[in-house]
Amino acid sequence: MNLFKIEMMKIRKSSYLWAVLGIYISLQAMGILFLFLGGDTPEEGDLFTEWNGLSALTTALTIACYSVFSAVAGARMIVDEYCGKNAVMLFTYPVRRKKILNVKCMIIMCITTGAAFVSNTAVLGVMYITAEIFGIMPRSSEVFLILQVLLSGFLSGIISFAIGIISAAVGWIKRSVMAAVICSLLIVCVIPNFIASMPEHTVLSILAAGICSALAAGGMYRFLSKGIEKMEV
Amino acid sequence: MNTILEVNSVEKSYGNSQVINHCSFKVQQGEIYGLLGINGAGKTTLMKMILGLQKTDRGTIRVLDKERGEDWEYLANIGSMIEIPVFYEHLTAFEILSMHLALMGKKGNITETLVLVGLENVGKKSVSAYSLGMRQRLGIARAIIHSPKLLILDEPLNGLDPVAITEMREVMRKLTARGMSILLSSHMVGEIRHTADRIGILSGGYIKQEFSVAEQEAESDEKFEDYVINYMRRDGK
Repeated sequence: MNLFKIEMMKIRKSSYLWAVLGIYISLQAMGILFLFLGGDTPEEGDLFTEWNGLSALTTALTIACYSVFSAVAGARMIVDEYCGKNAVMLFTYPVRRKKILNVKCMIIMCITTGAAFVSNTAVLGVMYITAEIFGIMPRSSEVFLILQVLLSGFLSGIISFAIGIISAAVGWIKRSVMAAVICSLLIVCVIPNFIASMPEHTVLSILAAGICSALAAGGMYRFLSKGIEKMEV
Repeated sequence: MNTILEVNSVEKSYGNSQVINHCSFKVQQGEIYGLLGINGAGKTTLMKMILGLQKTDRGTIRVLDKERGEDWEYLANIGSMIEIPVFYEHLTAFEILSMHLALMGKKGNITETLVLVGLENVGKKSVSAYSLGMRQRLGIARAIIHSPKLLILDEPLNGLDPVAITEMREVMRKLTARGMSILLSSHMVGEIRHTADRIGILSGGYIKQEFSVAEQEAESDEKFEDYVINYMRRDGK
């Protein structure tokens, strides 16, 4: 049994699956609603009448939801484990603490990125099919649209994961699961708004948000791993 | 006899309060060393330092002739149960023990260990359904399944009924017969008397007195329990 399998065993998978399903259904419902909110004539800068705007809005919402999801996962897998009684057990194994932390982060990354990618792609896909059936959106380049959807789905996963790691690190510093969740909510107020406010440059804004959050998460991860390596329980 | 654990002039303080002060003792192969002390004497801190959960300010700790350092490999030879054992509630005893073996990088017989601690009938139930006593037994099973050379048990008899306490004592005897050494702390003086080969009284941050039960009974007219309690009481004043 490798470390990845062991850490996966520790997780109650059903609660994460239900959460992902709940997020997807909510996002899909909102996506369909956005489709029907737009007027007949596309206006520049209007979020609801162009695919760019809808994509930006949906991606921003995906990031918001999965950032909180990722922060909760980080709080349960990192803050709970290292700040609670489990730490005594966890640190009595002849395995480097950093190695276990890396595996935990990898699991959070796989779950968050995978779920956000599938969710964002599915939501936009269903929206596109609905728009085609009802003829409510102007046609645009399909290849460009597919690329944009795939890229924004992947980047929304990465951004959500990065926000989750930043929040988990804050939760670890404050020794509080609640602090991790609140931190993610605060970040979520900024990043998705930034993306939704630039519908004409959706990919660029997501890319910029992705780079900034990844850099911040990298710094926080270094701090977290050093702290865990040295911590006493 | 081989020395399995050697604690040498170890010191530890939290802020201005010195909890462990020039503490030294040794645990030999196949013996049960009982650590006695009043609440807050530093028994758990000492055990945590041996396990690398707490750093030492000064002094050395040697496990199996190797100094405890940044290398965590020595932990594969130690089994431990510190404070109340915690588990992942949704897992079964089988899953918990197999996970433990994988993390320790060792092999062990899960069924045999569960029989040894009396949990063979509930091994496939999730831990959330376990009573306090059953959790304590599972904690002991987890500590011994990988056949460690040194077993560190902090108040292992808490929550166990008298029958289970007697069974645990027998389990510990079986383990030492296989060459395992045990460092045991308990506030139950009577239990320590029946279980330990040697006893160290931790007071003022160090082992103030060390003796075997047989030695004490031969030297003093007082009953063992009275002697220890009176000693700790005098010392506490």
